[in-house]
Amino acid sequence: MDSSDVEFNKRLLKTFRVEAEEHIQTITSGLIELEKSPAPEKCTQLIETMFREVHSLKGAARSVNLREFEMVCQPLETVFSRVKLNQIALESGSFDLLHRVVDFLGGLVATLEEKRTPAQRSLQKELIGQLGIFSNNNSSASVSVQPEPGCKLSQDSYEEPEIEDLKLQPKGVTAGQFVRVSVAKLDSLLFQAEEMIQTKVTTQQLVMELREIKNTLASYSLSSRQWKTRQNASKTSDSNEFVNWCENHLDTLHARIDAVSHAAEQDFRVMRRIVDDHLEAMKEVLMLPAASLTETFPKIIRDLAQQQGKEIDLVISGDDIDIDRRILEELKDPFIHLMRNCTDHGIEKPGRRKELNKPAAGKVAIAFATNENRQVEISISDDGSGIDCDLIRKLAIKNGAVSSEAAEKLDSREILALVFQSGFTTSPIITDLSGRGLGLAIVSEKVEKLGGSIAIESKSDVGTTFRLLLPISLATFRGVVVRAGEQLFVIPTASVIRTLRIKPEEIQTVENRETIRHNEKILSLVHLSDVLGLPETSSSALSMITMVVLATGDSQIAFVVDEVLEELQVLVKGLGRQLSRVRNITGATILGNGRVVAVLNVPDLMKSANQFASIRKHCESEKTPKSSTKVLIAEDSITSRTLLKNILESAGFQVATAVDGADAFARLRNGAFDLVVSDVDMPRMSGFELTAKIRADKKLGELPVVLVTALESRDDRERGVDVGANAYIIKSSFDQSNLLDVIKKLI
Amino acid sequence: MTEKKKPQIIIRNESEQEILHTRAQALAQAPEKVVPASELLDIIVFSLGGEAYGIESVFVREVYPLKDFTPLPGVPAFVLGIINVRGQILSVIDLKKFFGLPEKGLGQLNKVIILHNNLMEFGLLADDIVGTTSVLLSGMQASLPTITGIGREFLKGITSERLIILDGEKILNDKEMIVHEEIAFMASK
Repeated sequence: MDSSDVEFNKRLLKTFRVEAEEHIQTITSGLIELEKSPAPEKCTQLIETMFREVHSLKGAARSVNLREFEMVCQPLETVFSRVKLNQIALESGSFDLLHRVVDFLGGLVATLEEKRTPAQRSLQKELIGQLGIFSNNNSSASVSVQPEPGCKLSQDSYEEPEIEDLKLQPKGVTAGQFVRVSVAKLDSLLFQAEEMIQTKVTTQQLVMELREIKNTLASYSLSSRQWKTRQNASKTSDSNEFVNWCENHLDTLHARIDAVSHAAEQDFRVMRRIVDDHLEAMKEVLMLPAASLTETFPKIIRDLAQQQGKEIDLVISGDDIDIDRRILEELKDPFIHLMRNCTDHGIEKPGRRKELNKPAAGKVAIAFATNENRQVEISISDDGSGIDCDLIRKLAIKNGAVSSEAAEKLDSREILALVFQSGFTTSPIITDLSGRGLGLAIVSEKVEKLGGSIAIESKSDVGTTFRLLLPISLATFRGVVVRAGEQLFVIPTASVIRTLRIKPEEIQTVENRETIRHNEKILSLVHLSDVLGLPETSSSALSMITMVVLATGDSQIAFVVDEVLEELQVLVKGLGRQLSRVRNITGATILGNGRVVAVLNVPDLMKSANQFASIRKHCESEKTPKSSTKVLIAEDSITSRTLLKNILESAGFQVATAVDGADAFARLRNGAFDLVVSDVDMPRMSGFELTAKIRADKKLGELPVVLVTALESRDDRERGVDVGANAYIIKSSFDQSNLLDVIKKLI
Repeated sequence: MTEKKKPQIIIRNESEQEILHTRAQALAQAPEKVVPASELLDIIVFSLGGEAYGIESVFVREVYPLKDFTPLPGVPAFVLGIINVRGQILSVIDLKKFFGLPEKGLGQLNKVIILHNNLMEFGLLADDIVGTTSVLLSGMQASLPTITGIGREFLKGITSERLIILDGEKILNDKEMIVHEEIAFMASK
């Protein structure tokens, strides 16, 4: 077999796997449905479906030459065919056998390319044998007992019962209307569509800059004309000619920029529409009915119930709602965990249920419903024993999650919320189902990550209900850009209730916590920079305080920020592999100007806020008075610049920075500074040149200059003194005390 | 056509051949000893805090100039912040802080060496890139007992030119490097 054959075979197997998984899923669902003993017509229909599925599976297996599949499918098909003809009847024991056979087939599909283990082989033999016994011996149960010679069982029989009938009933879908596309391909398309948001944001920025250039040019052109009219009074022909020449050029330039800016703006509008529509369409493509998530649930519940000797009916409703595939995918684990919770902690054993006058079979209900906010509400409820609030209270105190006094104050809802903490379990023994105490914490984390919330309700002996509120599709993320200290942050718009500006007098302290009153509600108030642990920056007393009110679930907290800049659509990216999870931060986004900004994690912030609410007061009393000395740092390396700035700021100076000598000189001219700290080796204008320029300037001439340099030669030191630097610090021996000493000597 | 261009060498007699032979003998040199690639380690040499270090170039995706970075609140000190590398967000590590080396001096720290393997990716802060070179595996010494500072488990060895080679694989796979912080819920405090 050459390599192309191998490739081809691989592709065939891949296709087979997808197809086989579907068939197996349908058979499993059918069996579970059938076990509930539905109405006779439904029964017939189910058996018919399963029979067809087994038949198709067998055919598919044969086409890729998988004999082992055929060998199992054949007797299984016979069983269904005989059930169909009422020659044998299915009873509870036989369902277990059929489930085992289907599970075995599922196992085979999962390990198509691997070698069969001896255990698998013997299981296969056993299952085939049992199926044979079942389809032959059970005949007595049927009404029409007629030994059928044609139905004699042989494992390799290639008999095709009622093949004609099968061909006459095509599936509901006609080929041509639907195409099977791999999820990976669609995902990569969606990813590309999302990446285009970045381009859109950048383009918007460019269009804005273009417009600014146009306006600058317009005002330039205007003032030049005014100047000319004034000059015209005193006619000097020579310069007039030059001015005319300039003016003509300026006009041409202006007209061209105007045209370009206009075209860019139009293109941007078109592009914005296309990008948005395209993204929405891509998201539609990736919407799937919730049933694609729930289809495996009946089987899971059945297995769980069996393991624990419990009887459980699962009722699923509303699972025809379409939901973003990415959300459904992320929900799989939380749901499995919640179902385990229901079966393990919730539903009681049949004996106990009888004592409580409950029906022997417990009920687990999963319901999906949409609301008007394009959200889906999912509830998972059981009619089991409920959660014992006192037990949780005790456990929480024992774990040290809350102090005993604090625990007394919590109401039952707050107590129930404790179960979402990691390390929390009510199960006295760790079963293999649950009890490690991590589950619910992970569930709530996942749900929050999807932009949803989870709540729990429980009544002793009546049951427990988990309510999840989730978006139907992962909305294009919108964020509010705020400034805290000197850093910008993006807060997800979905969590922002509103932004407020209030007078300082409106803040009142309750129990050492700052609060404000908003909409008849008392909200606690925290400073975003405190919660994030940002360095203290000089904050002058403002007449108005800006804040954003954030919410998760039903708790709200007001966060003081220094500025609210804008609200925009952002593409949230991960922080890279090394930063797997950073507290208070979900990810980062790139603004239109290329600047990277962290996106805040609101649930985290709310938790952190509780710890920081009362700290502000103490800090303020200890704050060192800010010196009025202004220092300019000229340094091209971002890290050195930041380090110098931090050192000087924590020493109480007011600091401005420049990226090179030329930038520094421009800043010096526009603002009053008391001292310059400059690197020597910089692009555009070196520290030597900068110093020389300062000394040559009438206004700046006396300004003290400290040169910080990597150059250690004596020549350089001498050159530094020559150009007029007041001090010279060598980088390799630099530390913060020698810099501060030098500065103190100079001012 | 080709005949015209082709220089034709015609050896006329034996004495001429003799001369050519002696000349060839005189000019002949023994080929340099070729070291098989498997015995060589391609490394990138960079300077950090006044020292030169080498790291295997197989782990280096690229070197990126550090023009700007965004510091993140709440991360360990060895994480400088995040940068935008053509639309990709990457974290940048300060090895000096990670190894707890003395913070003496003021470096240039203008370059980010982006390290990667199939599981991990991040940037290393460096003062400058010195260049690339190949070192003989056999000429490398495991370590020196007197070497302190950079943890010995992160050293691949020291070359005969006394260049310290960092172990890229170990640095990339170190669990301490990964930041994973959850927030414990505090009901009231």
